[in-house]
Amino acid sequence: MKYKFIGLLIAVLCSAATFAQITVKGTVKDKSAVPIPGVNVFVKGTQTSVSTDFDGKYVIVVPNKEAQLEFSFMGFVTQTIKVDQRTVVDVVLSDNNQTLDEVVVVGYATVKKKDVTSSIASVKGKELQTMTVGNVTESLQGKVAGVQITGAGGPGAQPRVLIRGISTVNLSTDPLYVVDGIPMGTSINFLSNNEIESMDVLKDASASAIYGSRASNGVILITTKKGKAGKTKFTVDMSTGYQIMNKPYDMANAENYATILNTAYTNSGYSEYLPNPEQYRGKTTDWWGAGIDRTSSVTNASIGVSGGSEKNTYAISLNYYNSDSFYDIGGWKRVTARIANDFKFTDKFSAGVTLNPRYETWGSPSNWADFVKIDPITPIYKPADQLNGTENEYSIYARSPSYVWNPIAAVKRYDDYTDLYNLNSNAYLQYEPIKGLIIRTQGSVEFGNKVWNKFSPDFVIDAAHEKAEINSVERKATTNVDWTWQSTATYSRKFAEKHNVSLMGGVTMENYDSSDVWGYGEGVPNNSESMREVSAATKNRNSSGTSWSSSLMSYISRLSYNFDSKYYLTASFRRDGSSKFMAENKWANFPAASASWRISNEDFMANASSLVNNLTFRAGWGRVGNQNLPSSVYQSNIGQGYYVIDGNVVDTSYPSTMANKDIRWEIVEDINFGLDFGLWKNKISGTLEYYQKTTKDMLFVKQFPTYSGFPSYATIWTNVGSMRSNGIDLLLSYKDKKGDFSYGADLTFTTVNVKMVSLSTDGEKLYGSSNRTLTVQGEEPGYFYGYVADGLFQNQTELNSHTDEHGTKMQPYAQVGDVRFKDVNGDGKLDDKDRTKIGSPWADYNVGLNLNFAYKNFDLVANFYSSIGNDLVNQNISDLYNGASLTNKVSGLDQMAWHGEGTSNYIPRLSKDDNNENFTKFSSLYVEDGSFVRMKNLQLGYSLYNKFGFDKLRISLSGQNLWTWTKYSGVDPEVGGGVLGSGFGGWNYPVQPTILMGLNVAF
Amino acid sequence: MKKLSFLFLLTFFTILFTGCQNDEADFPSSDNPTVAVSTTEIYGAPNRKFEIKATLADDLGLKNVRIQIPELDLDKVINFATDPLLTSYNLSYFFEVPADRGVSEAFVIKLTITDVSGNSVDQNINLRLDGEFSTPAINMITPKEGAVVLLSSSNQLPVNFVVNDDSGIDYVQVKCAALGIDETVQLTGAPQSYTFNKTYTLPVTAASYVLSITARDKFKIPNTGTLNINVVATNEYPAIYLCDQPKGTNLTTDAAGVPMYFHEKTGQDFEFKYYADSNNKEIYFLGQEADFAPHCFGLNGSGNLVDNVTASPIVLPTKGYYKIKVNPSTLAYTVTKYTPTSKVWADVANGVWNDTEALRKPFVSVCGEGVKDSNWDTWNAWVQTGLHLVNNPDNPYQLVGEVTLTGSSVKITFTGQWWNPQWRLIKNGIATMSPGENGNGAYSAAAGVYKVILDTELERAFITKK
Repeated sequence: MKYKFIGLLIAVLCSAATFAQITVKGTVKDKSAVPIPGVNVFVKGTQTSVSTDFDGKYVIVVPNKEAQLEFSFMGFVTQTIKVDQRTVVDVVLSDNNQTLDEVVVVGYATVKKKDVTSSIASVKGKELQTMTVGNVTESLQGKVAGVQITGAGGPGAQPRVLIRGISTVNLSTDPLYVVDGIPMGTSINFLSNNEIESMDVLKDASASAIYGSRASNGVILITTKKGKAGKTKFTVDMSTGYQIMNKPYDMANAENYATILNTAYTNSGYSEYLPNPEQYRGKTTDWWGAGIDRTSSVTNASIGVSGGSEKNTYAISLNYYNSDSFYDIGGWKRVTARIANDFKFTDKFSAGVTLNPRYETWGSPSNWADFVKIDPITPIYKPADQLNGTENEYSIYARSPSYVWNPIAAVKRYDDYTDLYNLNSNAYLQYEPIKGLIIRTQGSVEFGNKVWNKFSPDFVIDAAHEKAEINSVERKATTNVDWTWQSTATYSRKFAEKHNVSLMGGVTMENYDSSDVWGYGEGVPNNSESMREVSAATKNRNSSGTSWSSSLMSYISRLSYNFDSKYYLTASFRRDGSSKFMAENKWANFPAASASWRISNEDFMANASSLVNNLTFRAGWGRVGNQNLPSSVYQSNIGQGYYVIDGNVVDTSYPSTMANKDIRWEIVEDINFGLDFGLWKNKISGTLEYYQKTTKDMLFVKQFPTYSGFPSYATIWTNVGSMRSNGIDLLLSYKDKKGDFSYGADLTFTTVNVKMVSLSTDGEKLYGSSNRTLTVQGEEPGYFYGYVADGLFQNQTELNSHTDEHGTKMQPYAQVGDVRFKDVNGDGKLDDKDRTKIGSPWADYNVGLNLNFAYKNFDLVANFYSSIGNDLVNQNISDLYNGASLTNKVSGLDQMAWHGEGTSNYIPRLSKDDNNENFTKFSSLYVEDGSFVRMKNLQLGYSLYNKFGFDKLRISLSGQNLWTWTKYSGVDPEVGGGVLGSGFGGWNYPVQPTILMGLNVAF
Repeated sequence: MKKLSFLFLLTFFTILFTGCQNDEADFPSSDNPTVAVSTTEIYGAPNRKFEIKATLADDLGLKNVRIQIPELDLDKVINFATDPLLTSYNLSYFFEVPADRGVSEAFVIKLTITDVSGNSVDQNINLRLDGEFSTPAINMITPKEGAVVLLSSSNQLPVNFVVNDDSGIDYVQVKCAALGIDETVQLTGAPQSYTFNKTYTLPVTAASYVLSITARDKFKIPNTGTLNINVVATNEYPAIYLCDQPKGTNLTTDAAGVPMYFHEKTGQDFEFKYYADSNNKEIYFLGQEADFAPHCFGLNGSGNLVDNVTASPIVLPTKGYYKIKVNPSTLAYTVTKYTPTSKVWADVANGVWNDTEALRKPFVSVCGEGVKDSNWDTWNAWVQTGLHLVNNPDNPYQLVGEVTLTGSSVKITFTGQWWNPQWRLIKNGIATMSPGENGNGAYSAAAGVYKVILDTELERAFITKK
């Protein structure tokens, strides 16, 4: 109240001091007469603006009666009202239920959402900012139908993003990211989610073909925040909290460990490994407690200022992100600034420039699994009687007989960090010589310098097994200078009232230059911080350096036409020339076409307009490419080898890779059919799409046939094989409001089916991940391939009956309690031919559910994501259940493992030798249902408007990844990987539960 | 209403019958299957396999046969394919009697044969565990496998062996087609032991012969054993071996290297390089690899070289490397000590695997087959630290280690990262350094733990039972 009074007083004083100024007040409500807080009230042509308070009321001073007030608020239609003689202007804002007037970025242009003819999904930056993440795609998970995102734990980790499945086997599956019109490669780690205004995902080729040879994995267009005309606005957005690291397994204590290993030894006919286990009671070493932090901090903060006039707008932000590792050292820090300035010199001439300096530093140990696996009897430090006082600080740790290197000592030695310095600048000039014709040229330059430093101290924990007798130091500096330049001319015109045409043409050029230099040395006089320089090395100094570059030149064009906003047609064409290919195939064409029929605009739908607000049918076709192969495939390369001849090491050379002058782009063609709908004033809306993608001329690295004379390790890239995928994307949205209570739900549903149509030769078998996956014609790529574990031999009779028809044992070394492997082909032998498909890493479908509720000042957001029907390989089973190694096992394994008929049909008997290869044979024993449902985010917020001198003040409490349902017993069900090695879970850094407090201030 | 009820019932029973139908094909009724066993009494023994043989038949088709011996935990079902139907089947099923059963025990084997019509018949067979299955043991006294007969000394081939068998010996046979030997000794009274001793005369031309010795016992189901002995008759020694083991040592227990094959040969001049690991090392030269007889070269009382199994050893006075020349025809030999100049592979115990050549340090490990934890992958050789060799502190030219042989054929290459460095173990214990001869030699050795010495100066490997 006090603040309101002061505000009024200031307003009155100002009005008194300024002749002809008028004070206007009023209330802003929605159609249900509910006041709307936080509405921006802006005097057009000035920088004056205010926000409505919690009761929807405002007071503003306008210069004269001709002034126009603009009322805007997200989710409502913006209204502009002339003041005239009034001093009270009450406004009723209409719900912007139909979001069809929203603008969508389509690549080198923007169009209204209603005019989109291809498959494009948009997500507002506000939705992405509900989560605190290092990589914004993690926040995108479950929010876009057709996009499968597999989270990755660890500071700086990059989630796997698949847009409509996979269309390549050997190349990267990451989409292309384009920020403010500039292609930025296949990683988005550099961007804070607070910098983002919106993301648009180009899913089908008819949309993405304008990006040609890099669009086969889809394109994600990101628009960063820009300033808006009006008073200067300051914003502070901050969230901070803790990531929780739970110990993934209940491991055996010292006594139980001894019992488990003794059982394994005696079962194999050896004497006990650690006799009298009770002597270890109460002597368990808590490795996890000593080296892993239960919580680690995470902070995401941004300070922004924006505003401007009609001639010049600006937006400046400073963003900070920090994610500590759960060791006492290391993590990831990122500091970015974004300074955007847009100028409108005349009605015809405008320009803009954005500067984006960035600093990142990262590095952390990765041996957390060792804290679980190391035996619980070994102490952390050597006992006093084993120290002689001459050891350095890295040599005082104890050695574990389990062959796991002392993890506390490893963390102590860790010194492996990378610093990144980067400046990206982006500028444009735009000229509109005649109405409807826009000529725009835009360029960007990026300078980057990445410096990696590593120091490995000398230490002797055990003279035979765990030592480095000499220290070493390394430094590698990589510098990149990239530039892009793109110029377009767009002409848009409406004629004969109903014909709308837009034609765009342009040319783009991109160039990427990088170089690196590496230095190495050993024998630094001591391990002190100040000596960790290559110049201080006294032995074995070495260095190397190289440079590489690639470039791309393209011609682009697009024609858009619609008749009476009913019938739409879009066609685009891109011609790319890449330095990665030789003259014959340097250039390739990427055409696309799409059409839509806005059925709801037809006259015959007029009677149904109260029910059907939008009904649009879309169809599209396009061709895109994938050139994510090494820059030098057009080169023949000589490899360097060493042979010992007459006792001397002799340098040798051999042809390592051979040029293929016929190499060309991997081509993906797709068709897409979509139906957009909005019902009951768009309370229910959504999109249903079907697509089919076909990849041709897939790029493979092949070995030469033996008769060619080339060595077997010489390879050549070649275009062979094809694959096809299809699926359905569904987005279903519901939103409504009852009085002060508003609520909404978005459901996304994604299916992907992939099959290999052909490989390089008939019947070719493409193995991956150490022969544990197989890719063959007619099947999905990279399925799990191994033996079928058919339970355990429960008794001697079962064991004796596992023979061929002549009594020959199929598993001659098996004993009761061992795994029974299935004779799949029934030939009475257990061999390589009995390996079969034992699982699929690919989900049957993914579902995302995003809920939002608001009641008065409270708001609640809940995001769920699920992957259903995929399998995962739990590689940790061997570490946890296999008695053959000396690493620690899960608590109670002696009772969990088979120890008598009926005691287990899953965990084999404990055995020191594992002669039956229970664990060394890759079998379905390792394969588990990888389906999961995860609550990605739950956020409760409370907002205040026009209080304490702030336009808006919001506090929030949120939890990320707090709840996960899964049958998978591994560390985390979110497991990525390449196409031929996907779904192999192990000691991967888990996606951690996180608790956060948030504060958002605007004034 | 009636109509509705009728429709409901119709639907219900349609679903019921559809849901309950048997997926298996129906077969018409047929006659019982038949079974004809080769014997109704089978002899077995603890820890030994016996065979169940029978001929099964059915006029329509066999479905399965079940073999049961509940006391021995056997319950095996053999299912037959039904497309096409199988009307006859020769059962031949082996089963091993557990080692802990007594030889006086007897059991009943129950065969149950079922045809596709569901008819089944049982057939019982008696199983006795008091069977005798050992072949007669042939203990060869002379000639030993690989024996060399030096024709210039004598063309007589004494053949002397002893045969033993618990159930008695029926006959003994000696054959060699090249020598025209085909001699059968039919024994009476089934003695449990018999000694054969006879000398044959060889042609004076050099040749190789195979003596085949067969013995059969008198058990109800007779057991026959055969032993083949290779003999070389020559005017010159094809090879001479250096042996530093005391006389009487069994020279066939090593996997490779003992006795040591010569290094160079010109006519009958043989040259060895040899490392004496101690002062006063005693050595002999042998004309054959497996035994000290018949040709063992040592010193007589006068200090001259003689071919005599009773000869005294040649003594190398001090520890170190020697070049030794010997001619078994002229009985001349020389011994010269020398200092090696080949590369010393030092500090291999601290080898480092690294993709960057500059950061790599040589290690030497074992790749191959027939060796526990080993395969042909050099990365595996690196990670299997138990296979790593270390420097012999007493001799910089020797790398030593330990391997466990599995009992199957052994092939070995000693290697570092990506076959650099590498010593390929070819035939005769020669560990040739790359790029030497191709083709790993195959060695047979009993399962067990063996000591490995790789001598990089000699380019020889010695793999001896620990």
